[in-house]
Amino acid sequence: MFVYEKKLQYPVKIKTPNPALAKFIVSQYGGPDGELGASMRYLSQRYSMPYPELKGLLTDIGTEELGHLEMVAAVLHQLTREMTPEEIKRAGFDTYFVDHTAGVYPTAASGFPWTAASMQVKGDVIADLNEDLAAEQKARVTYDNILRLSDDPDVNNVMRYLREREIVHYQRFGEALRRTLDKLNERNFYAINPSFDR
Amino acid sequence: MSRNKSDSNYRYGDLPASAPLAMAYVPMQESVSPSYESMEALSRGTLFPGLDLPFMNLVNDTLESTPLTEMQAIDFVVDELELYLDTHADDREAFDLYQTMLALQQEARERFTKACGPIQQTDQLGMKDYAWLSSPWPWDYQPRMEV
Repeated sequence: MFVYEKKLQYPVKIKTPNPALAKFIVSQYGGPDGELGASMRYLSQRYSMPYPELKGLLTDIGTEELGHLEMVAAVLHQLTREMTPEEIKRAGFDTYFVDHTAGVYPTAASGFPWTAASMQVKGDVIADLNEDLAAEQKARVTYDNILRLSDDPDVNNVMRYLREREIVHYQRFGEALRRTLDKLNERNFYAINPSFDR
Repeated sequence: MSRNKSDSNYRYGDLPASAPLAMAYVPMQESVSPSYESMEALSRGTLFPGLDLPFMNLVNDTLESTPLTEMQAIDFVVDELELYLDTHADDREAFDLYQTMLALQQEARERFTKACGPIQQTDQLGMKDYAWLSSPWPWDYQPRMEV
């Protein structure tokens, strides 16, 4: 069961609309390393996790990622408010606008719509936690790249915040991997999947 | 121990005769201290200075204190501690801090809800009218409409 909280995790207050920035920030909404994929990955992986600390961590980080999805949407929504057709064309936002107007749609910056093909649920604790570590690094690099491209201080505050969360999540997934290895049967030398091979 | 010889180009190295499956290694965080004060934690995106690794060393200014950011800051520390406790369930210091923050969270929630409206639908217990729709939605922001 999920309950909505009518607040963002971190404030989003973009003073200057700028559809040119929305064009690439949308990738953190529906791109290959974006927040939608992050939340779906963790919230789907948790069912085959063998230990309570892993079920807990994936539930809690997956839930936080839903909050980040909402923050990225808030950034996109505010960057695209009150646009004129001239601004849309000048910003190169026309290719998004023609399909979605100023709506928020989960797509990569390249225009490829969100796909579950950019995430995996292997059903194996070691493989899934390694995927999660990689996912956090890839999301961090995407925020690095956004910070390289954006000069809007209101946007960059939010991007820096979200980027730092990736670092914290990486640490927690690394710790979860350590806890898992400690718990695997000592004779389970090759880390055989404990939720499948009993 | 014997040298692990291989015909491939891969560089030579010593491995025990029967090495376990190679595994990524991340050191455990040892403690919740030192930690930032809650508004600074929210502004920086982590409670823990040891994990605070900003891009190009550029750091967010500490957020201005408003009823909303006060509550967001406490909520953030609660969330951050929950992730820590998921991998450190036996850390008493962390759990004590978590208890302290939960008490502060409850106070902050009540204060905010009274002044600005419900955060969850069920915060409307005892309210005169259906207030869920009258407070601003969190993604809506106009520079002139400061909360």
